Amino acid sequence: MTTTRSDRKTMTCAEFQDRLPELFESHADLSAEEHLKTCENCAALVRDLEYIAQQAKLLLPIHDPSPAVWDKIENAIQTEGSGQERAEANRPPVRA
Amino acid sequence: MSTGQAAPKPVHQHMRRNPPIAGEAEAIQAAQGGDARAFETLYALHKRRVYSLCLRMLGNVAEAEDLTQEAFLQLYRKIATFRGDSAFSTWLHRLAVNVVLMHLRKKGLPQVSLEETLEPSQEDGPRKDIGARDLMLSGSIDRVTLERAVENLPPGYRLVFVLHDVEGYEHNEIADMLACSIGNSKSQLHKARMKLRDLLRTGERKEPAV
Ligand SMILES: [Zn+2]
Repeated sequence: MTTTRSDRKTMTCAEFQDRLPELFESHADLSAEEHLKTCENCAALVRDLEYIAQQAKLLLPIHDPSPAVWDKIENAIQTEGSGQERAEANRPPVRA
Repeated sequence: MSTGQAAPKPVHQHMRRNPPIAGEAEAIQAAQGGDARAFETLYALHKRRVYSLCLRMLGNVAEAEDLTQEAFLQLYRKIATFRGDSAFSTWLHRLAVNVVLMHLRKKGLPQVSLEETLEPSQEDGPRKDIGARDLMLSGSIDRVTLERAVENLPPGYRLVFVLHDVEGYEHNEIADMLACSIGNSKSQLHKARMKLRDLLRTGERKEPAV
């Protein structure tokens, strides 16, 4: 924000890359960065990092748990459930 | 009052990724009333998301299955407390994340390596080998390749990457979950992406040796 144009021109790759996390987080328009207009290395880096973040969003659910997982859950629930029923059966009946 | 138009909710990333599922609301209500079939329906609707989350955070099938089980058992015990003021899937996934983090803490955790990985490996200067065009990713990484690369991330990086980039949590939420600073979460994420780029480029040049 406060960097002047001439600062940006003389920014080194190290300086630019130090600022990268913050630049990504601010959702700034990186194509406006002077350094990227003149530095292919950093431009490639930025494209890759953006690409990786983009692809990660598409990674959603592709894995399925084995059927044994539900069997175990069901067993555990039945055990817990019958405990509850017993507790309820032991409760004194409510009189109207 | 019973129904009435629900006020439009802010569209969080989670909600964009978790659009309402047909039949879900009815199943939630029935499950809250103790309907076992309805609970099974909820399991069927969400098992994949929950298990994928566990697997990616843990990198281990056996543990991921155990914790999927644990997450749904907690869901069973807590479902009556779900009030519907967030998307059910958002609520459930947060519950699952907590189950995984609790487990990792007991194990003594990548939390530790969270700190460790924070140490700048070299000086934090630019990487000398970032450069030539041929080192750029081809832009055709398939999901399996990316998935494998994520598995190969150090655990501390992997947690933050999965929570932020895959699951869509914000840094303040992650900082909260991992009990680290927001700056820490941001810097871990950046390093994770950098590391992934390395892994992916290596993978592009040659088939992994394993
Ligand atoms: Zn540069």
